[in-house]
Amino acid sequence: MSTSEKKGKGMRLPGVMKDSHILTIIGLMLMVAVIMLILKPDAYFSGKNLTSMIFQFPEYGILAFGMMVCMIAGGIDLSLVGIMNLTGVLAALILKNMVQMDGTTVLNPGMVIPAIALAILVAIVVGAACGAFNGFIIGYFNLPAMLVTLCGLQLYTGLAYGITGGPAINGMCDAFKNIANGTIPGTSIPWVLLIFIAVLLVVAFIMKFTIFGHEIYFLGSNAKAAMYSGINTLRVTVLTYMFSGILGGVSGILITSHLNSAKSSNGSTYTLLTLLIVVLGGIHPDGGRGRVLGVTLSVLLLQMIANAFTLMHVSQNAKTFANGCLLIVALVLSVILANRPAKKKNTASAS
Amino acid sequence: MSDEVFLKLEGIKKSFGGVHALKGVNLEIKKGEIHCLAGENGCGKSTLIKAISGVHNADEGTIWIDGEKVEHMKPIDAINRGIQVIYQDFAVFPNLTVAENIALNGELKNRKKVVNWKEIHEIAAKAMAQVGANIDPDVKLERLSVANKQMVAICRAIINDARLLILDEPTTALTAREVEKLWDIVRGLKEKGIAIMIVNHKLDEIYRIADSLTILRNGRYVSSGPISEYDQERFTRDMTGRDISGEKYNPAPSDEEILRIENLSRSGAFENVSFTLNKGDVLGLTGLLGSGRGEIGEALFGVAPAESGKIILNGKEITIHNVKDAIKNEIGYVPEDRLTQGLFMDRSIQDNTIASSIHKYMKGFSLDDKAMEEAAYHWIEEIGIVAPSPKPAVRTLSGGNAQKVVIAKWLNTNPKLFILDGPTVGVDIGAKAEIHAILHRLAQEGIGVIVISDDLPELVQNCNKIVVMRDGKVAAQIDNNIDEKSLSDLLIGASVEEVESK
Repeated sequence: MSTSEKKGKGMRLPGVMKDSHILTIIGLMLMVAVIMLILKPDAYFSGKNLTSMIFQFPEYGILAFGMMVCMIAGGIDLSLVGIMNLTGVLAALILKNMVQMDGTTVLNPGMVIPAIALAILVAIVVGAACGAFNGFIIGYFNLPAMLVTLCGLQLYTGLAYGITGGPAINGMCDAFKNIANGTIPGTSIPWVLLIFIAVLLVVAFIMKFTIFGHEIYFLGSNAKAAMYSGINTLRVTVLTYMFSGILGGVSGILITSHLNSAKSSNGSTYTLLTLLIVVLGGIHPDGGRGRVLGVTLSVLLLQMIANAFTLMHVSQNAKTFANGCLLIVALVLSVILANRPAKKKNTASAS
Repeated sequence: MSDEVFLKLEGIKKSFGGVHALKGVNLEIKKGEIHCLAGENGCGKSTLIKAISGVHNADEGTIWIDGEKVEHMKPIDAINRGIQVIYQDFAVFPNLTVAENIALNGELKNRKKVVNWKEIHEIAAKAMAQVGANIDPDVKLERLSVANKQMVAICRAIINDARLLILDEPTTALTAREVEKLWDIVRGLKEKGIAIMIVNHKLDEIYRIADSLTILRNGRYVSSGPISEYDQERFTRDMTGRDISGEKYNPAPSDEEILRIENLSRSGAFENVSFTLNKGDVLGLTGLLGSGRGEIGEALFGVAPAESGKIILNGKEITIHNVKDAIKNEIGYVPEDRLTQGLFMDRSIQDNTIASSIHKYMKGFSLDDKAMEEAAYHWIEEIGIVAPSPKPAVRTLSGGNAQKVVIAKWLNTNPKLFILDGPTVGVDIGAKAEIHAILHRLAQEGIGVIVISDDLPELVQNCNKIVVMRDGKVAAQIDNNIDEKSLSDLLIGASVEEVESK
């Protein structure tokens, strides 16, 4: 048995390249690129289009990391969009109250930085609190994450609606708008790209190099064995959803800045989109498996597809339909890819 | 018993991946015969059952059912030919009533669109009369005892015109009296001309019921014949492939106390349990299912803590309220079910090895991947895990290797007390001996080792102290100067004096 295992190992490609999901995503990205090269080369591969793509994906890309973390832990976080809008509304409220404006002119420029700092802090703290609440209900009462976070979505959306009373809060100061719409002075590199990369690095570090990250994988792989290994599963569950909630808060800041507007119903398509991203990125819906790199590439792929649709003037409904199809394909593909190596091994050893 | 053969297998081979589960198995079962299939864990019994019932198709070999050669059999074909398997978990529906469980399968098979409740009750009553069971047909199945669930499963098999009934280790969860009742029923079915195959490896039970016997070892057919041709010696030799000599574990006696337990109790589980473990001891904890043997392990590890009593480890009284306390006090625990409780199947050997000791590997702000890998390599070498590197997922390992990974996980925490519940269940013979050797070595090094098991030969051979539990109380504390038969009597209810006077 050991010899056949060794043989099997030797045939595989080293490192990242043996991850079939990552190869699939890279293949799909190339496919989109080739198609667009044929259909709309000038519009698609222009610097302007590239920059516009970069402005789009960080807000839902960061949400996708939240979804990823929960799914690796064996759960799911459907409340992310709710957390994003609640924290966005709170941030907008703080800015509107602290920064006095006349039209687009700021009357008290000295308050801008403190206001933005407070808005970000509140968004992160409230996001963490929402997540901790989800995690506690899931872990302490042993309820399915899908139901609890779905309730959470309603709860946080409802709170956001209650705060705004319905209409959006618009017209924040330019400095805040700049977070998601501005570029680094003297360059054309958007600030959001840096924020996204920073979040990506933090998430990747936590998942790979911290005890907490390993505990998330253990919990998702086998919650009972985690308990029998001395891991405090309730604590890890609460922290996992808190982590996700914090990412929801970061997204809340970004989307509010990006749209210069906050309300309870922004980004309502993001729930399905983030699910699609993580599944396509190779995060196993049963938990315990998947890599940050896969999800990152998946975010980029989805942005490439969305942008292609926009340039082709495809309607929003058709986009949603296409995303639904892609999700099914991704799920089926993940099953097929998971079974394929085993079959290969079987036939190899039989012959 | 007639001379007509119902089922005949010849040269059945089956492999999964690189593992050859069956390497050429022959089997012949006559109509109205009670045939026992015996072999140690991992010898291929379950795979053989699956080949007979159409779940797996054999890679090579031929199957004849009722004189007819069968190929590419699916489960439904096997059922239509009268082959019924009763698995260890019975595959019953807990939320349906007894009558529904017995009759619905047949109703579905006949493609009835509308359920006729009167008919369902009639079918259930008829089946129970045939089997000789007497269970309220309107009770939900989840409320029945294990023995009665089994009864319902048998009724369901009978109603589907069973001609060969396969019982997979039917007695593991039954009390002695329930076993007798089961055998009565089996004999009744035999009278009706139904062939019965019982998977079992407990010789005393086999003698009481079986007409003939087939023994498998490591996926190979070893021998077959009427039960009268087998004595204890031949039986164990054929099962294990070696003459089990009396080489028992006997460490040098020591007064150095490692663990003392005084009047440990948890209501509904065990009561006033006391025992002592000295340096070098491998202490066996045994008893029938429900005797409290496993619960004591869970109490010492804090999964289900004791309510009163004292635990003194290395001269210091400790309290254990939860798993964290146990780990703080350097107690390791290999749980009974390694698949659901012990292992992270999707994770690598390395991840599994460091799962309980991950705190050791924090260096500055991050985990030291290299040190973790070294630890995994260390244990792969040290306890002989057969793997090319620490990277493959544990699901690719065999039962014995997987169990060694669970053991490595705890050894990596440097435990002072190591509790193992069923350490060699589903482990092949070679790995079993290796695991026992590891335990002996640990005991010699001064680690307290407790083996919880119902594998009596394992206990007699590997533990120098045996604590027998009965109904939650300590029934006897003995050394390993006892044979399996006497130990088995102790388990069922004999007193130490009775056993010794024999």
